[in-house]
Amino acid sequence: MKDGFQGLRLGKWMLGLLKQRAAGLFCFTFLALGLVSLINPAFLAWGNLRDIAVQAAPVCIISCGLMLVLVLGEIDISVGSMMGVLAASMGAMVSATRWGLSPWIAVILTLILGTLMGALNGWLIAYLRVPSIMVTLGMLTALRGVTEVIMGGTWITDLPPGIRYLGTGSWMGLPICLWVCAGVIVLSTWLIHRTPLGRRIFAIGSQPRAAHLAGLPIQRVKFLVFAWTGFLTALATLVSVPQLSVVDSGIGVGMELLVVTCVVVGGTSVNGGTGHLSGVVFAVLLMTMISTLLIFMKLGENATYWSRAIQGLFILGAILLDHLVRSKKSS
Amino acid sequence: MSALQAKQISRSYGGTRALSEVSIELLPGSIHALCGENGAGKSTLIKILSGVETPDSGEVTLNGQPIPLGRVHAVEQIGIVAVHQEPVVFPHLNTVDNLFVGREQSKVGGLWLNKKGMREQACQIMHSLGETFSLDIPVGQLSLAQRQMVSMGRALLQECRILILDEPTASLSARESKSLFATMDRLQQQGVGILYVSHRLEEVFQLAQQVTILRDGQCAGTQPTSSLSRSELIRMMVGRPVENPSRQQKKTKSKSDKPILKIRGMRRDPVFQDIHLEIHAGEILGLSGLVGAGRSEIARAIFGLDPVDEGEIWFEGRCLPEGFTIQDTMAMGMAMVPEDRQREGLVLPASVEDNLTLPSLIELSGWMGMHRKPRHEASRSLIEQMGIKTASRASSAQSLSGGNQQKIVLGKWVYRQPRLFILDEPTRGVDVGAKEEVHRMIEQLAAGGSAILLISSDMPEILRLSDRILTLCQGRIKGEIASHEATQEILLQWALPEERDALS
Repeated sequence: MKDGFQGLRLGKWMLGLLKQRAAGLFCFTFLALGLVSLINPAFLAWGNLRDIAVQAAPVCIISCGLMLVLVLGEIDISVGSMMGVLAASMGAMVSATRWGLSPWIAVILTLILGTLMGALNGWLIAYLRVPSIMVTLGMLTALRGVTEVIMGGTWITDLPPGIRYLGTGSWMGLPICLWVCAGVIVLSTWLIHRTPLGRRIFAIGSQPRAAHLAGLPIQRVKFLVFAWTGFLTALATLVSVPQLSVVDSGIGVGMELLVVTCVVVGGTSVNGGTGHLSGVVFAVLLMTMISTLLIFMKLGENATYWSRAIQGLFILGAILLDHLVRSKKSS
Repeated sequence: MSALQAKQISRSYGGTRALSEVSIELLPGSIHALCGENGAGKSTLIKILSGVETPDSGEVTLNGQPIPLGRVHAVEQIGIVAVHQEPVVFPHLNTVDNLFVGREQSKVGGLWLNKKGMREQACQIMHSLGETFSLDIPVGQLSLAQRQMVSMGRALLQECRILILDEPTASLSARESKSLFATMDRLQQQGVGILYVSHRLEEVFQLAQQVTILRDGQCAGTQPTSSLSRSELIRMMVGRPVENPSRQQKKTKSKSDKPILKIRGMRRDPVFQDIHLEIHAGEILGLSGLVGAGRSEIARAIFGLDPVDEGEIWFEGRCLPEGFTIQDTMAMGMAMVPEDRQREGLVLPASVEDNLTLPSLIELSGWMGMHRKPRHEASRSLIEQMGIKTASRASSAQSLSGGNQQKIVLGKWVYRQPRLFILDEPTRGVDVGAKEEVHRMIEQLAAGGSAILLISSDMPEILRLSDRILTLCQGRIKGEIASHEATQEILLQWALPEERDALS
C-alpha cells in the first residue's frame, strides 16, 4: 500500500537525529578527544583507546539493563552491591583454597545468582508494590554486608587461569569483554525495537494508567526487566573482575551511581517513557574518557576526586537539559 | 436476540453506591445511547462492561456466554472493545506502536515484530478515520482530537462485535466527528453493536435507535429514541420533579453593599473564557455545569492555584496583583474546599488536630514556635462547633467517615474566619445525614456574612442552597438565574452543549 506518510520519513529522521542526545554526545566526545590529543598525542595511542573501551565495557553492559528500568519509570541502585556479591561469590567458588569449583560451573552459577537477585528486586517491586527506590536502597546496603561476610575480611588472589582469561584474554584481536559488550548492545537493540516486550516496556513507562486500561501485563514486564538487569550485572562482573588478579570486598562500590549517571546523561528520562540505547552507549564512552583524560592531564591524586565532581555535574546538567526541553515543549 | 446483555449489575466504591441493579441490553447492528447526569454511573458501567472493573454482583453475557469480568485483555479477545473518555494513549510512542501495543503482530513466535505489516494496517485504519497526520511522531505531540482518533483507531484494530464509546466527541471538531460517525455507520452495517455515551443529546437522537437513561446509579428506563423528545429525555435524566425546598425564608440581600468578590473578563485557555461574576456578603452563588465545563478550574484560578491568562479579580475592593498566589488569597481571607477531599483536602494519616490547625499554624505559634495549648483549644472548639464525630482529636483523619472528614476540611478554614468560601463539591461521597449537617453549616457561614461560591453537580443541592445560579457550558457562562426561578430542567438545558454543524 502506498501511503503519504513514507515521503516524510527521511526528513523527520534527519531532524530527529539532530535532536537526539546521541548525536550531541558523539560530537562532544570527538571534540574532547581532539582537544586532548593536541595537548598529549599519547592519548590517541591504540593501547590507550583499547584501555578506555575495556574500562567502559562493564559499565555499558549494566547500563543496557538499567536504561530499561528507568524507561519503566523505576530505579535500581543496587547494581554496585550486586556486583560486589557476585565478585566475592565467584572468587570463593573458583579459589583453590575455598570451594575450588571448575570455572565453567562458576560462570553458570554466577549468572544464575545475578538473575535471582534481580528477580528478587523485581518481585518486591512488581508484585508487592514496594517503591523501587526503597527496595534497591535496602539491597544496596544488605548486599554489601553479604559481600563482607563472604570475604571474611580477607581477599582472594588465586584466581585460576580459566577465569582470568575472561578478563585478560582476547579473540580476533579484541578483548573478550568488548565482544560480550557488543553482543549485549545488539541483543538490547533487538529487544527494544523488535519484540513486543520492548514496546510494552516503553508503553508502561510512558503512561501507566493507559497501560492498565489497555490490559498490559505491567507486573510481569517489571519483574522481567529487573531480573534482566540482574543477569547483565552478573555478565559485567564476569568480564571485569578477572581483569585484576585480586578480589576484595570493595568491588562495585559506586558502580550504581556511575551507571545511573550514564543512563541519564544518555538521554533517558528520569520520569520514564523515553530513552535511546545509542545515547546511553555514547554517554558511557564519554564518562569513561573523562576519567582517563583527567589522569592524562597529570592531576595526580586529584584525578579521582575531579572525576567524581564532573560525574555529578554531568548528571545535574543532563536532568536540567531534560527539564528545559520538556518545559519548552509544553508551553 | 441480544448480543450484549448485562443483568442486575451493582458496584459500590467505599460506602457510595455507584450502580445498583442496572440492566442493559445491546442488539447487534444497532447504536444504543447511554445518558445520565454527572455521577449517574455511566463511566462505572462502561468500566465493568470493558473489563477494567469487576462488579459486586450481576452478570454480563455476550451471545449467551458469560464474559470474563475484570480482565481487559480477555474481554477484548472476545470482541468487546471500549474507547474511554480519557484517551488511552502512550505519549512517548508513535501512532503505530500506540495502536498495537499489547497485541503486537510478530513472526518467529514473538521474537521479531512485523513492523511493516503493522505500519500498513495502522495506515489503513487512520486513513479510514480520515486522518493524515504522520504516524511517526510521538502521540504526545498530536492535538487532543488527534489523540482521541488514535485511541479510536486502537479500538478498531480489534475485530470487535461490541464497541463502547464514552464521550468520543467531547474533544473532536466537526470534521473529525463527521468521520467518526461515518465509521460508526459502517460498523453498524457490519453488525457491530455500539454503546454510545454522550452529553450531546442531538447526537443521541441522530445516531441511536435506543437510549437507556441512568439516574443516581439506577436504570431510569430504556426507550426507542423515536418516541422521545429532547425535553422528555432531560426530564428522565433529572428524575421526578423534585419538591423544591426553596429558600423563601431567605430575604433578598440589600444589593447596595459592595461585592466581596468581583471578576471581570477572566480567561484561561483553553478551559474557560470571558468569566464575569460578583458575590456579595452573605450570598451563596451556585456554579453548575457538566464535568469538564471549567467549574473547578475557575475555582482554582480564583484561589491562586492556577495562573490566569487575562482578567481582573477584585476582592473586597482590592484588585489582586498579577501572578497572585495562594499565600496572597489566604492572607486576604479566602478559603477553598477542594473537589478531591482525600487527596487535596486532608493529610489523611495526620491527626484531626493537625488537619484542623494546618492553615493557622503561624497564628497559633508564639516566638518559640508552636504552642501545644492554643492548638488543643482551637481544635477542641472546632470539633465541637462543627460537630465532628471522632474518638479524640488525636485520631487520624482517615479513620473518620466521609462526612466527618469534610467537616474537618470546612472547619480548618472556619477558624480563620474567611470572607469568601469556595466550595467545590462539598458533599460528594457524603451520606445523607452528614450532608444535611454540611448544608446547615454552609447556610450558617453565609448568615454570618461570608460570601460563598458553591460548585456542585448535585442539582437539588445547588437549587436549595444558592441565592443565584450561574451555569457554565464549555468554559463560558451560559446563563444566570435566581434560584427560586430555577429548575433542574433549565440548568441542564443550559449545561448541555448546543447543536453543532457536524450534525446539520
